[in-house]
Amino acid sequence: MSPRIGVTGVGWSGFTPTTAGRSYKELMFEAASAAYLDAGLDPRTDVDSFVCASEDLEEGTSIFDEYVPDQLGAVQRPVQTVASDGLFAVATALMLIRSGAANVVAVEAHSKASDILTPGRVDAFALDPVLNRPLGVPALALAGLEMRRYLHASGRTVEQCADVATRNRDQARSNRRASFADVDGDDAPLFDPLTTHQAARSADGCVVIVLASEDRTDGRPTVWMDGIGWSQDAPSVESRDWSRAVAAERAAATAFAQADVGPADIDTAEVDDTFAYKQLQHLDALGLAELDPASVNRSGGAIGEGYLHEANGLARTLAAVEQLRAGDGRAAVVQSWRGVPSTSAAVAVLRMDR
Amino acid sequence: MTVRRIEGELPVAFRYTPGVGNTAFFEALRDRGTFLGSRCADCGVTYLPARIFCERCLAGLVPDTECGPEGTVESWTVARQDVDGRPLDPPVTFALVRLDGADTVLLHRLLGTADIGGRVRAVLRPERTASILDLQGFEPV
Repeated sequence: MSPRIGVTGVGWSGFTPTTAGRSYKELMFEAASAAYLDAGLDPRTDVDSFVCASEDLEEGTSIFDEYVPDQLGAVQRPVQTVASDGLFAVATALMLIRSGAANVVAVEAHSKASDILTPGRVDAFALDPVLNRPLGVPALALAGLEMRRYLHASGRTVEQCADVATRNRDQARSNRRASFADVDGDDAPLFDPLTTHQAARSADGCVVIVLASEDRTDGRPTVWMDGIGWSQDAPSVESRDWSRAVAAERAAATAFAQADVGPADIDTAEVDDTFAYKQLQHLDALGLAELDPASVNRSGGAIGEGYLHEANGLARTLAAVEQLRAGDGRAAVVQSWRGVPSTSAAVAVLRMDR
Repeated sequence: MTVRRIEGELPVAFRYTPGVGNTAFFEALRDRGTFLGSRCADCGVTYLPARIFCERCLAGLVPDTECGPEGTVESWTVARQDVDGRPLDPPVTFALVRLDGADTVLLHRLLGTADIGGRVRAVLRPERTASILDLQGFEPV
């Protein structure tokens, strides 16, 4: 087995519906400063490489990757952006370390969703411009279509999905980052059978995670990132699998094999719950359908913490790291999905030796 | 007053090339009112609309397989708001329909009521322009 890679620092900012007055750069600065403090290092001298995750259209800026170095301490340093969820940026960081190109890497992803005035237009622009977009179909309708097909194929029920949303909000009550433990208004149809209470709501926030090769962890108690995988199903609306989370299945197989563990070894799971049915579908994909529900999204997930766009995967990772550090389990699985209309997913296995 | 926001917008425009496969599909739809797909014999998969490659084995394909015009509902949902979040009155039902002979689905409007497994038929516009909107939607059989 190659040398292990540890999570030596975590930091975050926001996790609130709005962050009025603070720019995305300031949210990143705040989260990065906390992560570097946690890791006990100076980013200007001790971090070898920086990897961010962002999408231009969600930022309102073309070539957005040019806008990230200064607030991370990455000016005149190796820095790159992955146009995907933050957990894919973690995968890039692991490759940098495993290849020997870097020993210490900082990973960043954020959401300043409260600045997006026309989110439905951003989502619609992700649909195929020839076959799908001309229909005027909101991208979120794909979640309603997928949920109905998933329930039909799996035998799960609308009530089980509602239970997921209720439980995640209950579990969010003990999470200081969770803004959505309580939701206003009655549950209403969103895109049938999906309802408003079963969908995570947008939030602002940033997460920064520092990863280091084993010899840079200085023998401290460390959460190890022992496996990571990512995959994409057929991307088109026409040919994708509408019942299963195929990408999560493939990503999990890779991550579990790397870490040499199986679903039975997992104590705690932080999985994508952008919509309540996705949590059930993702647990199916991970082989964790039988895991104690109290050990799934103890943080409250995105339903409790808010939908952080490309920072969702890092938010789930942050929650898992905190749980392992606190002794709430020895092995955790983290899973992310890029949201509608995507078919991309990533999975990581984290462990804490005791 | 404290400056807390500066508004901006992104007025950009694009021209999208449908490609060889989609063009064959749209021209068949416009000129003959038929649904043209392409079949990968090795994988046993018929793609609709037509494609010039198989996403499973990457073999070259040709647009040569007619599908539909009847098919089966694979899923459906109701949109009560448009892409800007404005209420749709009346709501619009969207469905995934697998046309007979195809292994893939088409996303379009459901003109009526049908559940998963329900049989539907394509409704074409009389005047067609080689677009996905040449299809009005699917109506229950």
